[in-house]
Amino acid sequence: MSQAPTQAAATMDVPQELRDRARELGWEDSLIDQALGKGFSLQEVFQALQANIDGASAKNFLATAQPGGASIVRPEFKWMTVPTEWGIRARASDPAMGLTLADINIGTYGDVPDVWHNRSEIARGSYPKPAMEDMGYTIFEKAVVWADCVVPLYEVAVKERWSSATDLNWRSLEALSSDTERAVCQLMTELSERSYYEGVVLGKWLPEISYGFHEMKFFISTVIFDMARHTETFRKRALSNGGGLGLQAPTDYSRVVEEARSYPELLATLFIQDSTLLTLFEHGDDLAQNQVERDMYALCARDRRRMMQYQVERLKHFLFKMPDRREEQNFYMGKAESRVMKEWTDPVVNEPLAILLGGGRDQTEAGMAKLASLRQAQARDYVENLRKATFTRTNLNQRLKELVEA
Amino acid sequence: MAAAPVLTEPTLDLSWLDLYEDPTNATPGKKGLTLKEINLGRYADSARGGGDMTYRLRGATPRPGAHRFGANYQSKAEVWSDNCLMLYEEAVQRQWSSARDIPWDTLGTLPDPMERAMCQLSTMLTEVEFIAGDVPGQFLAEVSAQDFEVGLFLMSQIMDEARHTEVFRKRALANGGGLLAQGQNGLRTLIEAKNFTEMSVLMHVQAEGFVQSMFRLGEMIGHTDADKRIFRMSAQDESRHLAFGVMHLKYVLDTEPQRREEIHHYLDKADGDGGGASGDVQLQEVFESLCILLGGGIDKFDEGLQKFLVLRKRQVNEYMHRLEVAGLGDRRQRVGPLLAQFLD
Repeated sequence: MSQAPTQAAATMDVPQELRDRARELGWEDSLIDQALGKGFSLQEVFQALQANIDGASAKNFLATAQPGGASIVRPEFKWMTVPTEWGIRARASDPAMGLTLADINIGTYGDVPDVWHNRSEIARGSYPKPAMEDMGYTIFEKAVVWADCVVPLYEVAVKERWSSATDLNWRSLEALSSDTERAVCQLMTELSERSYYEGVVLGKWLPEISYGFHEMKFFISTVIFDMARHTETFRKRALSNGGGLGLQAPTDYSRVVEEARSYPELLATLFIQDSTLLTLFEHGDDLAQNQVERDMYALCARDRRRMMQYQVERLKHFLFKMPDRREEQNFYMGKAESRVMKEWTDPVVNEPLAILLGGGRDQTEAGMAKLASLRQAQARDYVENLRKATFTRTNLNQRLKELVEA
Repeated sequence: MAAAPVLTEPTLDLSWLDLYEDPTNATPGKKGLTLKEINLGRYADSARGGGDMTYRLRGATPRPGAHRFGANYQSKAEVWSDNCLMLYEEAVQRQWSSARDIPWDTLGTLPDPMERAMCQLSTMLTEVEFIAGDVPGQFLAEVSAQDFEVGLFLMSQIMDEARHTEVFRKRALANGGGLLAQGQNGLRTLIEAKNFTEMSVLMHVQAEGFVQSMFRLGEMIGHTDADKRIFRMSAQDESRHLAFGVMHLKYVLDTEPQRREEIHHYLDKADGDGGGASGDVQLQEVFESLCILLGGGIDKFDEGLQKFLVLRKRQVNEYMHRLEVAGLGDRRQRVGPLLAQFLD
């Protein structure tokens, strides 16, 4: 019998749904009040009704119940005997990595189904309730979202966590020439916005994916968090060395991503940004004006590399499992490529890069030549990443094609 | 190999070099260069201008002809919480790894009912944490980029909830047990929210508040060092989510007091429309497993029940205290009997 509830039984307002439930179980109308009068809490009555104690049992119990004696609640423990796989004792296979998702994918718990049928929020491998509300997920096919690499990549992402506030030596920043600082800041403005948007759009799709593929959702969660960190890192750089934010990023490409009507389309349109930004970050030493920026690009590249690995393996898996959807991808990629190529001719996108690559405003001619090489590297890496995913573009954007073939 | 084709016009524009005249020099503070240090001048949240439904981050110059991306909140009060800058940085600093920061080797064989109870609780918690990751994702696009720090905080929460989901799954599969019965019920209320404040008060303040009160009793629920540490680390994360929700609610009530009754209506629904039946701990399988764990064995179920009632009392009173801090103390008169019975 409880001492915890403090509201006097006499003044207790018993919810109608409890009285209804009691009647369903054959409780006499006065029995609830009798239980409360004996000092049992409303919570105990509630739990007794949840445990399906019938009217006769409740009446018998209350007839002999003494203050401080046994509880009115008689548990059933039905959950103890549900037919799930039992006796799992996962152990870390690599002490350096600890107990990973791969380590717990044992027996039936490691079976990732081709199609997940449960529309509720159930953990893979647990025992389903006979009826549950539909949670509104729309993605139930493994082929659409899955790549085997998400299992290890999630743990790597957790291990490779960093903080822009403390892992970059901001105090080492020294003044740059005004034009160079503004070039850095304009690039940071663009990169910060692109990162933020990618985090938002991935977050928006997260509730669409059912929980048969939880490892994939975990991995995307790390990418969303990476995007948050990139957003604020680039913003911090823009605001810490005598500059400021510049003109907002072009919106042509991001709108294509926003317009995606399915997860494969989303990923197909993001593929080019994930690839070209990774190449940009990998050329960070050419762009960086100081050690802070070199470190920043290196850390961002490390994060982006994980996302790119997922992009490649997911597309490869998707095309293998759904070959009839191969040609369709050309529509989405063609649209995304054309917008990126448009943005690559935008002076506010190009000129800061040229100044940084050339080494100053008076070196923009040399900078433009280096930028052309960077664009070529980005285009080639993009096509190479598609090739790794077993995808050959049938109608590669003409400008991209020229860059690749030059 | 031929030279790469030049993609730009031969003449330079460079007009972007002349967009501003106010050099900004944020300097690192005691905790490094945090969002607080760069929240200055025309970049500060206090200088927030109107949003434009693009992803232009606060302080950047609008681009002529920028596409709109769909409706989002134009008013700061809809989403803001004064502590979101600090909470985001704290989230970054306090990331932990379920793989390496939990002393899994301290797990030892428990009596079968105790192991089953822990596995049942873990099954329920892994489900609860699912939705706590999905819901912020659903609202990210509705946060204006003028209030991007709120977006960053939600992104950090998505990461936290992924970790919680997997740490409880790992626990269920690491000590000779397995997952048991599907536990959750009623959590759809969270993803049914159509408004940021509704979402925050139901998820951050109420649902995560109840979970937080339970995690803080982890010393009583857990019977191994690993279990206790799981609850401790998870509680640390939940504290941030809860703090965001309380301060968001306070901000709304301070700046838009006319929303008070509307907020009560959201809580009426979540509290059970008069009954006050909220809380996953009341689900039979969770209630029973908690009583076994709190009591210390299946044969001490009645002792466990007494401690369970203490847990409920603590949950409800802490919930009410948080609402009072946020300025919604009159909720005390509105809760249904199943919650009211526990109020001090």
